[in-house]
Amino acid sequence: MTDTTDSNSGKRERISVPEEIELPRLLDFYDLQTEDQTQIHEFYDNLQEGQLTTTQCCDCEEIHFPPRIVCPECTGDNLEYVELPHEGELFAFSEVRGGLPLGLSEHDVPYVVAAVDLGPIKLSARIDDASYGDLEIGDPVELKIVEIDGPADHKRFFYRFVPQR
Amino acid sequence: MTRNVAIVGGGQTNWGDRKATWKDLAQEGGKATFDAIPDVGPEDIEGLFVGAVQPERFANQTHVAPMVAELLGIDVDEMIARTELACASGQAALRYAWLAIAAGQLDVALVLGVEKMNLGREHMPEVQSSMANVLDREFDGVNGLAAPPFFAWYAQRHMHEYGTTREQLSLVAAKNKTNASKTEFAQFQSEIDPDEITDSPEIAPPLHLYDCSGITDGAAGVILMSEEKAREVTDTAAWITGSGQSSMAGNSINNLPSFDGWPQARKASQSAYDQAGIDDPLAEIDVAEIHDCFSISEIIEYEELGFAEEGKGGQFIEDGRSYIDGDVAVNPRGGLLGCGHPLGATGVSQALEITQQFQGTVTDDRQVDNPTTGLLHNLSGSGSVHSVMVLDRNQR
Repeated sequence: MTDTTDSNSGKRERISVPEEIELPRLLDFYDLQTEDQTQIHEFYDNLQEGQLTTTQCCDCEEIHFPPRIVCPECTGDNLEYVELPHEGELFAFSEVRGGLPLGLSEHDVPYVVAAVDLGPIKLSARIDDASYGDLEIGDPVELKIVEIDGPADHKRFFYRFVPQR
Repeated sequence: MTRNVAIVGGGQTNWGDRKATWKDLAQEGGKATFDAIPDVGPEDIEGLFVGAVQPERFANQTHVAPMVAELLGIDVDEMIARTELACASGQAALRYAWLAIAAGQLDVALVLGVEKMNLGREHMPEVQSSMANVLDREFDGVNGLAAPPFFAWYAQRHMHEYGTTREQLSLVAAKNKTNASKTEFAQFQSEIDPDEITDSPEIAPPLHLYDCSGITDGAAGVILMSEEKAREVTDTAAWITGSGQSSMAGNSINNLPSFDGWPQARKASQSAYDQAGIDDPLAEIDVAEIHDCFSISEIIEYEELGFAEEGKGGQFIEDGRSYIDGDVAVNPRGGLLGCGHPLGATGVSQALEITQQFQGTVTDDRQVDNPTTGLLHNLSGSGSVHSVMVLDRNQR
């Protein structure tokens, strides 16, 4: 070694990376919901109108959830949106008391997350206005639709459930 | 399949919250593997299979198999790939290597599983968001359905359907954590009694913190060889005599069975047992490394892998049948609950444990008495996929 200094060791040049960035698109748990972005936009359009729907195959009559663009039973693509019940029963549930995922800041812990049996289908959902100790398997719950504030440039909606009073 | 394939040995890093990067862990794991088998070096490797689940999210790095090749000085002339099958990625890598050797494509493969998960406590939400992506992110992950509440449903439903008790869950967690106290690389090395499980915070009822496997950094490697090559380096190896996988057409909540069982574990194990000529798994399997990501998982697996009758998994642990000196030694290494769960490395470490149990090189405290047949099981993601491998000290 002949030279023990680098070219600017007397005065280090500073470069910077951002300390904070806005929630990147790929860390946003909610999908973009418009016709430009997803072929199941009708599901979200219906949600905005107050209806929980899903696809049914016009050829083999299979009901899907989540909604599809190709029927996994018969590979047909002649599908129509049908209404789902807005009331169902708790099939299984737990309460998250720690370990909040990034990008779900609206999920203040604790929160209840359940498998809800709607009859034709089961789905996972947040159960609002309830805590674990208040609930039992089989309890009736009903649909609640929420609007999402966030980085998208269009209004977005999602479904939750609450205990039936 | 025409050729016999053996796991001849391997090595692993220390596991835990490591002051190390993904690349550090890959190097440590590779060195430990080659150090354990002096007759095999990087120049002998013809196939390289790297189990890694989320290096993109945890280490901001993709194309990781070539990264390992560079770090370990391996020129690969036959097959190189990274496998991703969530928590079964390590076993998926083993399966690819087995098939490649059995088919005659190559003779010597390195399988290395690597995962870097700890990003600092303040970044745990980032880790949790990555873990919530193994279900359907758009319709399930979005509800904050990470692994603990999802597996809590299984505990709730199994208790509801079969009367499984909270105490039985604690017995599983205490067994595995106590086994890990004798495992030099394990993340959690304390002997724990069942009461301490329910004394830990209830993070997703009915599951407590100690019912859950850890967030773990670590790597593990094994060398697989054709019969001719294996005979040159060891007298005692783990011969792969059966390998089964089963995946249902379902990954999201509506398309899974009833949250109290895993039909795919039964199918995958039956397939592996048929290949290995096993008629009575409880009588014939001496040591089993199975996927206890949560305490409830092991109880369900006793049933689906054929050790216990449906609904009787809780009774199986209560009767003491899965301890190291029981009817089948389940998770003598300490399982995911004790060793931790660096996702891509877990299946590889399980295979190494079975191999070392056959070779008699584990510490005396966890050595199973003269085992000849071993089982490896992993579930992945929503539990829609199960992977099972049967290993034997004697080739078929």
